[in-house]
Amino acid sequence: MSPRRDALAAARGRELSDVVAERHVIVCTGAGGVGKTTTAAALALGAAALGRRTIVITIDPARRLAQSLGLTALGNTPHRVAGVDGLDAMMLDMKRTFDEVIDRHAPDPTRAEAIKSNRFYQQLSDSLAGTQEYMAMEKLYDLHETGRYDCIVIDTPPTRSALDFLDAPKRLTDFLEGRFLRMFLGPGMHVGRAFGRAAAFGTGLFMRAASRITGATVLEDLGSFFQSFEGMYEGFKTRAAAVYRLLQSRTAAFVVVSSPEGPALREARYFLQRLASDGMPTAGLVLNRTTPPPPEGITADADELARAVTRLRDDDSVEARTAAALLSLHADRVAVVERERRNVAAALRGVDPRAVVDVPELPDDVHDLDGLRAVGAYLYRLPVA
Amino acid sequence: MDVANLLDPRVLLVTGKGGVGKSTVALALAMAGARTGLRTCLVEVEGRQAFAQLLETPPWDFTEREYRPGLFGMAIDPEDSLLEYLDKFYGVRPLTRLVRTSAAVEFATAAAPGIKDVLTIGKVKEMERRRDSDGRFSYDLLVVDAPPTGRIVNFLRAPDATTELVTVGPIRQQAQSLIDMLLDPARTNLVLVTLLEEMPVTETIESAAALRDLGLTLGPVIVNRVVPERLDDAGRKLLEGLDDDGLADLAALISDAGVALDRDGAAALRDLGRVHLRRVDLQQRMREVLAARLRLPRLELPYVPSSEFGAEEITRLARIIEEAVT
Repeated sequence: MSPRRDALAAARGRELSDVVAERHVIVCTGAGGVGKTTTAAALALGAAALGRRTIVITIDPARRLAQSLGLTALGNTPHRVAGVDGLDAMMLDMKRTFDEVIDRHAPDPTRAEAIKSNRFYQQLSDSLAGTQEYMAMEKLYDLHETGRYDCIVIDTPPTRSALDFLDAPKRLTDFLEGRFLRMFLGPGMHVGRAFGRAAAFGTGLFMRAASRITGATVLEDLGSFFQSFEGMYEGFKTRAAAVYRLLQSRTAAFVVVSSPEGPALREARYFLQRLASDGMPTAGLVLNRTTPPPPEGITADADELARAVTRLRDDDSVEARTAAALLSLHADRVAVVERERRNVAAALRGVDPRAVVDVPELPDDVHDLDGLRAVGAYLYRLPVA
Repeated sequence: MDVANLLDPRVLLVTGKGGVGKSTVALALAMAGARTGLRTCLVEVEGRQAFAQLLETPPWDFTEREYRPGLFGMAIDPEDSLLEYLDKFYGVRPLTRLVRTSAAVEFATAAAPGIKDVLTIGKVKEMERRRDSDGRFSYDLLVVDAPPTGRIVNFLRAPDATTELVTVGPIRQQAQSLIDMLLDPARTNLVLVTLLEEMPVTETIESAAALRDLGLTLGPVIVNRVVPERLDDAGRKLLEGLDDDGLADLAALISDAGVALDRDGAAALRDLGRVHLRRVDLQQRMREVLAARLRLPRLELPYVPSSEFGAEEITRLARIIEEAVT
């Protein structure tokens, strides 16, 4: 066995028991539609089962899963999950979280109101890449600071690019700080001394073009919007840095979730690489809905299976037709398992996920606590009570 | 409207819940368009390089290239789109360099809400209206791998949101012309991609309602990865009542056909068959839900259980689409 396959085999031998038992913050991330919310909820259930005070924060859960967690409406407050001791759940309200951030950082309520009533503010959370991710991190840090929870599990928004998530705090502060914007947004804004005459030249030229594109009133509105953030940037930056430190600490864990298909795995790979380069604590890769391996007793290869299917089809009895159908289902499974195995190996070439956990395709949709426990059984081993 | 008219509009915006195979379907639609003789361009908007991977080509960019006979492809980058726009309408070449180096694009694409999306849709419209020197349209069909259903409404609302914020000037006119394109059923259809599973079906139904509220026209729904039923009624009955003797007979039958099998192996195959039947039954229930709640024609594409998945497999899907429209 090559060293590389060895590493993958070792990773497959590990699961996430230590993560649900010990870590304070667990972040689930991955492409859209791969089962992040389900994974986050199942991990939270595991932590709570160990007697840890736990909360799961979800972004956009499927309705039936949300109902099973007692989440019937958006609300930025934790709810008890009925039937599970020590487990709270919360659905993140982006807009309200953003409002809370403004309230926290604004020097006075008047300024906070001025910002919140600006029409640009009202659309900012939808349009600026990374804002949702940043809000998720804000809420996470908030709950961390309350000291009420031993374990906080968070599901990240379905991002266009996995990078948005780690970049979010920096991107938002860079943007609001608007070094560039402040250069040209005009009266009342400081032009950095270092920019000198070149900047002044660029300012004029750009302003002329920009106002031709958008109309001058838009720029004025924008100007007053950014002006109202003056003096708040330090607060934002300090907070963002604290969030980043928390995520980087060994009390945190990132769980990357993927399906065994190419596109989701490419995002997972990208994210694992990024976590490594940022020195973030990677806990493992969860492969959701993998095709279960074919039964071990049948050793025939694809050609042998195909020949047998053809032979059986020559016979017109129900038994032979059914046998042919079952063998072809088996052949399909062998092929798909092989495809998934190759997809996973390609995605993990040269990256270390620490643990790789397969959660096989379950016969039914996961939408209640029993379903989450069934998923949990693959993610971690609980001590026998 | 009928499945046969699937490729009639000039622009198909393909969307679906994450993980349903939206990009695969977009590629199959574009291949089908090219195969039926339409000059087709496949447009990527989120920079995922999904098509470069599937077709094993170098990364796609703003340049339109012919990847198969009659099948062009490109990836829209909002920044390039802005520069092209500035260049075209203002001839501001000296500005272009400044814009690039000064992070001004961040302003135009991030500060003003939705402008990034407006620029993306604007590029699609430019390609849709473009004519060759002989006066005919450069493309007969544009297939856009649009954002997933979770973001599609914000994406398509962007031109409208822009007209609310920007009351005068060329951006406003531009936004209005995009709205005109999006709302014209002969020019733009939304193609929803789904699976016959509960969560994608629910999200498809909800998205369809939201998109209709925006005034958009929905084309046929593409149902992806449908597992074909392998057992007939007699086979189903046989499987459901299979006892120990039956298992021994099954093992003998299959062993005679050349695949050595014991009773345990036969039991494993039986279980595989039962899982298959559950899957097929779930699909049928979901099909009925879609039929009752969506009222749109559907085209089903089969699950491809192969050990490889690439251009060859997608070409098979394209042929199915081609047959459905011709």
